[in-house]
Amino acid sequence: MLVLIFGIVGVIPYYSQHPVIQGSENFIRNDVIRIVAAFALILGLGSLLRVHFDKIRRGRVNWQYSYVLIIGFIVSSIIGLLGGRVGEGFLPTRIGTFEFHMQVLFENIIVPLGSTMFALLAFFMASASYRAFRARSLDATLLLATAFIIMIGLLPLGDRISPHLPSFVQWIMDIPNVASKRGIGFGIALGSLATSLKIILGIERSWLGGSR
Amino acid sequence: MKIFDYLATIDRRIIYLIIAIVVILPLVFPRPQRVRVMTPTQKLFEAVDSIPEEKVLLIDFDYDPQTAPENEPMAIALIRHAFKKRIKVAALSLYVQPLGLAVKALDQVREEFNARATTNEDSIIYGRDYVLLGWQPPPIVPLLGLGISISGVYPTDYYGYRTDSLPVMWGIRNLSNVGILVSVSGGSAPLWWVAYSQVRYGVMVAAGLTAVSASEFFIYYQTGQFSGLMVGMKGGAEYEEMVAQLDVPGRRRASEALGSLTAAHLTIIAFIIIGNIGYFVRRRRK
Repeated sequence: MLVLIFGIVGVIPYYSQHPVIQGSENFIRNDVIRIVAAFALILGLGSLLRVHFDKIRRGRVNWQYSYVLIIGFIVSSIIGLLGGRVGEGFLPTRIGTFEFHMQVLFENIIVPLGSTMFALLAFFMASASYRAFRARSLDATLLLATAFIIMIGLLPLGDRISPHLPSFVQWIMDIPNVASKRGIGFGIALGSLATSLKIILGIERSWLGGSR
Repeated sequence: MKIFDYLATIDRRIIYLIIAIVVILPLVFPRPQRVRVMTPTQKLFEAVDSIPEEKVLLIDFDYDPQTAPENEPMAIALIRHAFKKRIKVAALSLYVQPLGLAVKALDQVREEFNARATTNEDSIIYGRDYVLLGWQPPPIVPLLGLGISISGVYPTDYYGYRTDSLPVMWGIRNLSNVGILVSVSGGSAPLWWVAYSQVRYGVMVAAGLTAVSASEFFIYYQTGQFSGLMVGMKGGAEYEEMVAQLDVPGRRRASEALGSLTAAHLTIIAFIIIGNIGYFVRRRRK
């Protein structure tokens, strides 16, 4: 019933500009959803900690890393809540010239770690494309040729080889790419619409954890 | 014929080593590459350039450290353009993680401009010339709420100042006061701005995208729902190229990184060709 009501309430404001409808939607979006999101955040954090405490207690595979997560969580929470985002809180986040407020932690821990993880992709991609990208059939050969054209055409080198190459790449992106993507997009949109209707009308209930 | 067996089975460590060398060397000795500006980037530049004085450029920072090498130069070039043309900037994020990167980018460009400023008028001042609105979860709240009231969604900014009290926000009520919204993203956030904010409130939307995700967005560019696009490292370099013509200070990170990208692309192409030569010769022998 709740899904039915809120599903319909979410759709109606797109079709009616009545102040009562717009006002209700504004209230739900600005107040209700934010309160629900705040509870969800607490629930999520609680669940995360419970899983990792449980992992340590039972000595599951790689349980040592759970200590890293829990210690990181506690330290960053204390610094973030008491020290502020850029050191404006009451907890001192500077020892001499050494600062450790949230922005410093972010720039010196999260940014390098995230960049490192993603940078590894270049190595795996190079190795995988060398091993797997074979012109075994006509389709594979076409794919390979298109990939080469796009890769070169997207570089300054493409323009030096021929001034028409970047324009040809743009044509590939604008016409064949858009044609296929639009077809897929329509399929996804219709599928989403059908699934949403089934959920709103209670026909599809598997997301609640049931069997149907 | 042993050579063809070797070509088909090169040790992955050798591939890793060669990739590392070709990626790192051009970054250690950077040389900005000149690029031809393509229409999607040109359109974005013109849309930002023509923002009237009473409107604001809204930048959505939605990239994380993983895609920052591609997205950050785009955001920095955008901010430089806006600051140079004295266009008011409001920045926000739909997620919490990009906020740190937004602070970094805005602070960096502010310092670049202030290092050359001689008067208060020349300087870039937080609250007067730009504001970081922050983050309000879940994303649907700003996506739809900004069309009604920006200060309703963000009563205080990232630093805790009342949004209404900042001079940059005077006269900026909702999305109708936004010249263009540019979502710099490593994911699908730009599509949400189109699907929710543009459909309902008619705001102009443009995007800065990673090259790998760009194909998804050309559908919406072709229909005019995106007023412009910056695609990948090259898109960032194209925007930097146009901003550099305005005599704006600062390093051009995307243009510098193109050398590394070119070398990496050519190396990968070379490896694919080598792998195929080895594969075909071995197949013929069998």
